[in-house]
Amino acid sequence: MKLNKKNILMFLAVLGPGIITANVDNDAGGITTYSVAGAQFGYSLLWTLIPITVALVVVQEMVARMGVVTGKTLADLIRERFGVKTTFYLMICLLLADLGNTVAEFAGWAASMEIFGVSKYISVPIGAFLVWWLVVKGTYRIVEKIFLFSCTIFVTYIVSAVLAAPPWAQVLTETVKPTFSMKPSYLMMIIGVVGTTIAPWMQFYLQSAVVEKNIKIEQYKASRLDVVVGCIITDVVAFFIIVACGATLYAHGITINDAADAAKALEPLAGKYASVMFAIGLANASLFAASILPLATAYYVCEGMGWESGIDHNFKTAPQFMWLYTGLIAIGALIILFPNAPLVAIMLISQVVNGVMLPFVLIFMLILINSKSLMGEYTNSKFYNVISWATVLVMVVLTLALVATSMT
Amino acid sequence: MQITTELYVSSVLNKQVINPAGKSVGKLWDIAIVPGEGLPVVTGLLIKKGKKIHIASWHSVLLFNPIVVSIAGAIEKMPLYERQSDAILLARDVLDKQIVDVNGAKVVRVNDVKLAPYGKMLCIFSVDIGFRGLLRRLGYEKVWSLVQKEIPQKEIGWQFVNALEINTAGLTLSKAREQLAEMHPADIAGIISSIPRASIQNLLNNLDYETAGEAIHELEPELRTQIISQLDSEQASDILEEMPPDEAADVLGDLPEEMAQELLGLMDKEEADEIQELMEHEDDTAGGLMTSEFIAISAETTVAQAMEELRRQAEEIEMLYYAYVLDAQEKLVGVVNFRDLLISNPDLPVSELMTEQLKTVTVDAEPEDVLELLAKYNLVAVPVLEDDRTMAGIITIDDVVELFLPYALKRRRYPS
Repeated sequence: MKLNKKNILMFLAVLGPGIITANVDNDAGGITTYSVAGAQFGYSLLWTLIPITVALVVVQEMVARMGVVTGKTLADLIRERFGVKTTFYLMICLLLADLGNTVAEFAGWAASMEIFGVSKYISVPIGAFLVWWLVVKGTYRIVEKIFLFSCTIFVTYIVSAVLAAPPWAQVLTETVKPTFSMKPSYLMMIIGVVGTTIAPWMQFYLQSAVVEKNIKIEQYKASRLDVVVGCIITDVVAFFIIVACGATLYAHGITINDAADAAKALEPLAGKYASVMFAIGLANASLFAASILPLATAYYVCEGMGWESGIDHNFKTAPQFMWLYTGLIAIGALIILFPNAPLVAIMLISQVVNGVMLPFVLIFMLILINSKSLMGEYTNSKFYNVISWATVLVMVVLTLALVATSMT
Repeated sequence: MQITTELYVSSVLNKQVINPAGKSVGKLWDIAIVPGEGLPVVTGLLIKKGKKIHIASWHSVLLFNPIVVSIAGAIEKMPLYERQSDAILLARDVLDKQIVDVNGAKVVRVNDVKLAPYGKMLCIFSVDIGFRGLLRRLGYEKVWSLVQKEIPQKEIGWQFVNALEINTAGLTLSKAREQLAEMHPADIAGIISSIPRASIQNLLNNLDYETAGEAIHELEPELRTQIISQLDSEQASDILEEMPPDEAADVLGDLPEEMAQELLGLMDKEEADEIQELMEHEDDTAGGLMTSEFIAISAETTVAQAMEELRRQAEEIEMLYYAYVLDAQEKLVGVVNFRDLLISNPDLPVSELMTEQLKTVTVDAEPEDVLELLAKYNLVAVPVLEDDRTMAGIITIDDVVELFLPYALKRRRYPS
């Protein structure tokens, strides 16, 4: 695509769905995984980010293409092609997994606020009300602008990585040179990094967002750029989180359990600002994902079941949509406020459900996108099919392994 | 065979089909239908045996109810179903698909289909779009009935259904099509903005140009532009021609210059000139808001002649409320409203009853001034004058309201 004014304007017009989806992907769970990966293995996992980015681009590009060509959401297409039963059980699973994820987001929000000395009994209700209110009272345009702005806050991770002053030459070599270890903890971490990067809700969300934005075929190239840029940004952020934690925590042999630990532990090693930046990044990411995830879930469950949906509706005109959205936020926040809630178990179960569902979603996607009657001339090319089936295969093997290891 | 009961498709689909001897011949895979006299009728059953799908014609069906589906004749001798055939299949083309509920003016999804006897045949009677149909399909109807005795039921008669997808277009009934055209353009616009783009063309083809034009004008500018650019030029220009010139100017003004010129070129010259003139005004001035369609009469006209003129022009004109009295130079000298014309002596010249105290705006007036004037004097339209006081057009209150209606009140899900 040539770089001229018209094309740049076109890109800015379709900008949003891809970048927002990819950034929600760097949620509390993602940041935790990357922080622990950096603290535990230093830079030795950086190389996996390149193949992960490729896989992410392949998967996300397909759903964006389906959205543009058919004008229908992924839930719509699955319902029309595979029937109501398949759709129903898929939606139940997504609902469960997303509830677990929402809990994780509020946990991240609470933890990051506690670093600033705010009790979770104050921060969680406020955060929950804020995300609920934003979507219920806002318009799509305003909501999208706030989300896009929120994406820029991820820059804080780059800042904290720079403040941690890593040995850049070594970092770059480790990024391009694959190293491998058969240690179970290393394998487990690779699986975790892959699993947190490609999650089923992302495909549903991206396709819905593309449809919602009414992107047409002529704008598709620009839309694909949005998706690719988004995927790259996700992994660039992941890169800097790993680097920040690798340069400080790993170098000093400090072990951590979650992202808030990482933020706190950065302070004596990389300075107060690095620590604050890290915490701000976590707070933003958690809140950001806590509003998008329930929203996306309410959208695709309603689309699949044929209920009214949309943020311009109210409790009277779209009861299922509004209650799903409100319920996910309320339950997610309440679980956090519950003293001694089994947070780890909830997150583990949602992780397992996520993993079990991903292969199904990917296979449904590949069947749909190769359907001539649906996609016309926009079906996958042979080359693309090979790459995507390989991606599916690797994802299936890795997620099965993840599920197997999480269970034991 | 005599069919006596109504039944839901979900209750027979995937059932074992048996022969008169009671042996299974395969599974009911789908049901083929064709448009009938009133409602579509079932013409055959598609039965899957092993990997093959055979078509059993309706004549060979012996029993068809939720308990037993049986056919006469050897399944192996029945013709095979070809996947490429353009037959309309109930499960593949209707079940789980989106349709327009013409009565409810919204887009819904088909949860189940009810079949009913029609002489010796079976026809599609209604579609189930409610919660009960959903539960039935999922197999939880009985379980749920333990919780809630009366499960809400929602079915719409097939005659009120308008199919969206191209391959089921043959099933659209002319009655549904008529009802679609009778819906309010704002409702049609709501439907257009909530269905996949590929289906929009199909829906527009069911409408006459005038209704299509009104519906398109109700859409958000972005979607409006998209739809117009996806139509073929002939169809687009025909639709635009049927729109009031100010609305057509709005639509054309948002299109790329080249396309707008092409469409104007395809239109009737007089209309095209009128639209072009309107397009030359800035969007946010009185000139950009006005329409050039109004009723002009001269001062010497009698009330009877004026009424005659009104009757003659009524069909062409969007807003009939005032007649404007112009002199030989097309300068505005007075205005007379319908009420006064109706209650006055038919032989009286218009000059006797017209108002000469005129409330007018100029073409470059701000929309706020127009709103203020309309509100202050309780007018439904205000004349727009050129600098030399010749009459350029009128601004009607609906266009002003639309402009000032807070963004929040408009459809928000479909952003421009």
